[in-house]
Parts: sequence; structure tokens; C-alpha cells
Amino acid sequence: MTFLDFFTDPILRPSTVGCMLMCFASALVGVVVFLRKRSLIGETLSHASFPGVVIGVFLSALLIPFSDELIALAILCGAFLFAFLGLKALNFLENRLRVKADSALCFVLASFFGLGILIASRLQQSYPLWYKQALTFLYGQAATMTNMHVIIYGCFGLVILGFILYFYRYLEAVNFDPSFSETLGIRSKRLDEMMFFLIVLAIVVGIRSVGVVLMAGMLIGPAVAARPLTNQLPYHFALSGLFGVVSGFLGNYLSVVIPKGEYSLPTGPMILMVSSSFCFLSLLLAPRSGLVNRYVRMRRFSFQCAVENALKSLWKEERRSFSPLIRWQLKRKKWIDQSRHLTPLGKAAAENIIRLHRLWEVYLVDYMGQKVEKVHRTAEELEHLMSPELERELTELLHNPRHDPHHQPIPPAHVEST
Amino acid sequence: MNILEVEQLTVNYEKTSVLWDINFVVPEKTIVGILGPNGAGKSTLLKALLGLVKPISGHISFFGKPLSEVRQKVGYVPQRSSVDWDFPITAFDLVLMGRYGKMGLLKWASKEDKEATRQALSQVEMLQFADRQIGQLSGGQQQRLFIARALVQDADVYLLDEPFAGIDMATEKTLVDLFDTLRKKGKTIVIVHHNLASTETYFDWLILLNTCLIATGPVGDVFTQQNIWRTYGRSSILLDEAAIKAKNKTSGLL
Repeated sequence: MTFLDFFTDPILRPSTVGCMLMCFASALVGVVVFLRKRSLIGETLSHASFPGVVIGVFLSALLIPFSDELIALAILCGAFLFAFLGLKALNFLENRLRVKADSALCFVLASFFGLGILIASRLQQSYPLWYKQALTFLYGQAATMTNMHVIIYGCFGLVILGFILYFYRYLEAVNFDPSFSETLGIRSKRLDEMMFFLIVLAIVVGIRSVGVVLMAGMLIGPAVAARPLTNQLPYHFALSGLFGVVSGFLGNYLSVVIPKGEYSLPTGPMILMVSSSFCFLSLLLAPRSGLVNRYVRMRRFSFQCAVENALKSLWKEERRSFSPLIRWQLKRKKWIDQSRHLTPLGKAAAENIIRLHRLWEVYLVDYMGQKVEKVHRTAEELEHLMSPELERELTELLHNPRHDPHHQPIPPAHVEST
Repeated sequence: MNILEVEQLTVNYEKTSVLWDINFVVPEKTIVGILGPNGAGKSTLLKALLGLVKPISGHISFFGKPLSEVRQKVGYVPQRSSVDWDFPITAFDLVLMGRYGKMGLLKWASKEDKEATRQALSQVEMLQFADRQIGQLSGGQQQRLFIARALVQDADVYLLDEPFAGIDMATEKTLVDLFDTLRKKGKTIVIVHHNLASTETYFDWLILLNTCLIATGPVGDVFTQQNIWRTYGRSSILLDEAAIKAKNKTSGLL
């Protein structure tokens, strides 16, 4: 099965396209929620919407049992209503009863979700078929989506995209600095209302494919994955959206391709797995803050220190034998020749390091008031992290001294370094 | 003419310090210091002036009008620690936000807006860092951005909350010079400050605060030992005296 089949096959297409739209929308909303540091609110509101879903299924089963699309709409309305009630309960607990935010979130999540489960169990006895339908919203069921679903979710997704584009500056300014925005005449109190509106839209779109339990992960996952890769808000939105779309597609693709027809894998959790992998990889491999790159930089710096220390000991004629790796590096830099003697280039480099070391010692004693016998150790570290500008400043500040606090001569600055 | 007039301002809101029956005026083209110990209500006073905190009673007028009519003429620089510096925006984006009140939220930044932003950045010597993410900058550089953000607003009176807290000497010097230039251009600058040592050189006019208004007026009249004693209480005066004595002792002056 090729990638293209997922966009042409009449059975695969609705679920694939629907999931991609839904993931795109929730990934955009996720950036707003993530920057507002209210990630858990998505978790709480998606669980809170569950009783609404169940009641929606129940009522539509009684009143309009034959129209799939109308049932879908009834479910959306129910979910919206209960997410709204959940938010009201949250605000009431936090503002009126002075419950701490995290406790309030837990409480609303558990009580609303419990209510949903209770209603669903009652449904089970009289309408087992509808009970099953309601349960699909727990973990989502992308596979049974129809073209009509795609159109409905596509419209919701467009509303979210349009809303974020339209209010981009507002979201940026108020999320970053609400008080300052207020002094410009920007009403910062609206942000939470807007965020709620966006979250609920994303939830009602998303629970069909990933379910109420996993919905929060879909909101936050792409936003978290995108953050280490950019420092600019437009790119954060764009990357997050891209991760969302790709997770939506790969989730569908993998849940079909991996089982090879023997058993079936649910799409929703698979989408979540893909988006979590993006998070993991991004935190691991991001160019600046990624774990791997930081480790490499750390190792490189300690190697640089080892090589420079080796060079120093050659210059002081203390030691001649080094590990092959350090020898190789010394040769590569043309600091030593074949007979392991310092080249003129190596001598200059060594003197520069000695110079930095002794300059720092002078600085530490004269300016920081440290004891003469204690400064060697600090200078030993500082000598390796020097830029030409910093050296120039240090030289000027200390009036280009000739001797360090231990009465050792300080080698003059070399022509190439000045 | 008085830029700012405050009458019988009382604030007693749950999360902020208390202010009790504050009356003062701020004349134009001055640099005003609001001084007082921790918890005296200095920041609360600024927030009340800006309408961020609702007072119980009192009357505040800028240029003889309520704030809502002259919002764009009043610039605010909050405490640096009040925002999350990990936020994914560049130095340029941050300063541009100062224009949002003028340009409206739904328009793209015009050439003028961008030019004003670049100019403000160079006024605080930060133009070369325009594309840096704000979290990668030092405390002093971040403070410069906050000031630049207020500058692009082109206000007539600036209210600054602890602009000298946690910054380097070079930045402090730049800011002091900048405030001086602004005053010469006819602007008024109100600064919440805590360092008594630099008070006389930085300010023309003082507001000494400790829940109540202790004293206000030209710095020469107000900055007296007795007023400081009343503002900071005996305890902090003792400590200051002891510190000076200790310094003199160790350097052999006493």
C-alpha cells in the first residue's frame, strides 16, 4: 500500500484526511495553550465533555436514529455544552471557593468523567448498540469516518486557523505580557475566553479520532515538539501545525500497515505515539538545546581542554607522552612536529594559553580580592574559554601586566591574536 | 503644569500591598523617584495609576484627564521578572509590541512601525541583537528591550517599575543618560527605585512611600535624614549606619 492510496481509497481517505485536519487544528490551539502554561486545561475539558457525548448519543438515538451526520452534530453540541460547564465549574472552584488550580483541574476532570461513565452504563442496559457508539469516543474511532465527517471537521479546522491568524497579534501580546498589553488598551481578560473557545473547538473536532482520554496529548504534543526547533512565534505555529498534520497521516498509515491484516491497531493511540515520538526526537536532537548536541558540545570542550593542557605541559617541558587521540589533534593543528617537539605555531599557541591563565590570575587577585594561593585553580578553567575581545578587554583593564601574582612572567600578546 | 495628579487614592486589594490616602502631583519635565521599603506599595501605586489595580477610592488624572482618554500618552515598563523570557519571540518582536496600541491588532506592521522599532533599539544600543531570542540576552539587555518597547510608544510620561534592578553598570549608565535626554525633550519619567545611594543624582522630584505618603516634592527639600528615617523605619537606618561605620573602620577612617 502506497502513501497515495491513503488519499484515493474511498475507505482510507475520509479517516486519513479527517485525522490530518483534526491534528492540524489541535496542534495550532496547542501552541496557545502551551505558551499560556495551561496544558492541563485541555485534559480536564476533554474529559469534562464526555457526559455531553454520551447524552448526545442517547438523545439522538431516541429522536433521530437514522441520520449519522445529525448524530455527529448532536454529539458535538453535547461535548461543547459539557466542556463549557466544566470550565464554569473550574472557574467557580478557583475563584469562589479558592481551590488551588491543580486540585480544581483534577476534581472537575474526575467528577465529570465519572458522571459520563455512569450515564453510559445506564445506557448499556437498554441500548447496547448506542452504548458502544458512546464508548468509541473514549479512545476515538477514526476508521469509521465518512466524507461528511471530514467536511464538518474541515470547517471547524478552518474556523480555528482563521481565528488564530486574525487574532495573532492579540495572542502574542497578551500571552507574553498581559499587564503591558492592558496599558496599551488591549483587553487581556479576553484571552482566557478565546483560549477556551479554541480548546473546545479543538476538542469537539478531535474526540472523534483520538478520544477524550488522549485528546490533551494531541493538543500539547506538536507544540512541545516544535518549541526547541524555533525561537519565533510564527514558526512555532507553523512547525506545530506541520507536526500535527504529519502525525495525523502517519498514525493512519502505521495503524494500517503494521498489522498486515492479521489484527487491527486503533488509529487514535497510534497518532499519539507518532506525535510523542516527534516530541522525544525533538528534545533529543534539536540543534541548540537538544540533548545529543549538548553532549557532543560538552565532550568537544573537554577534549579541547585536554589538548590545551597537553600543549601547556609540552611548553613547560613537564611531559612528552600523551594519548594517541591528543597527539593526533596536536599534529593536526601543526602544534608539534614528527619528533613530538613544539613547532613555532605550537609555541605561540601555548604562550597564549599561559598568558590567559596568568592574566586571569592577576584579575582575580587585583579586582576580585581573592587570595594569591587560591587563584590558580579558577584560572585553570578560565584559560580555555577566551575570546579575542574578552582578552583585549582584560589586557586593557589590567594595563597589560608583565607578571602574575606568583611572580611568573606573562608572555606578551602575539601578533596574530591582536 | 502638572502631568499627573492623584487625590485620596486608597488601594486595599487582596494580592497587593495596601495604599492609604495618597495625594501627590508630578510636575512636567521631571524625573521622579518613588522610594520606599519592600512592601511599601511602590509597584501597587504604579499599577493603580495605570488602571491595572482597581482602587477603593481616589481620583487619578493625567494631563488633567482620566487615563482612558490619554492611554497612548502613558508608557509603562513593568518589572523585568514579570514575564517569561523563554517566550518564542525576538528582541525586535518584543519592542514592536509597543506599537500595538497605535497600529491596532489586526494590521501588519507598517514601514513606519518597523523604522520606529529599529530606532528605539538603537537608542538603547540593542540594534545588533534585534534577531536574538529574548531568553538569550543578559538581564541588562532585557531591561533595555523593555525600555525600548516603551519608547516606540512615543508617550509623554513613562512609568517604570524597578528599571535598575539586576542590571549591569553599563546598562544603568545608558539608561540614566537616556532618561536625561527624554526629560530634555519634554518627557516626564516616574521611576520606582530602591537604592538610596543614587537618589540625589538620579531624581529631581521624590515620592517617599510607606503605605501612606511620607513626603513629596523637589529632591532637595524632601530627601532629608528625618524623612528617610520615617520612610524606612529605625531598623533599616540602623543597618545603613552600621554598614557605613564598618566600611570606615576597615579602611582606617575611624
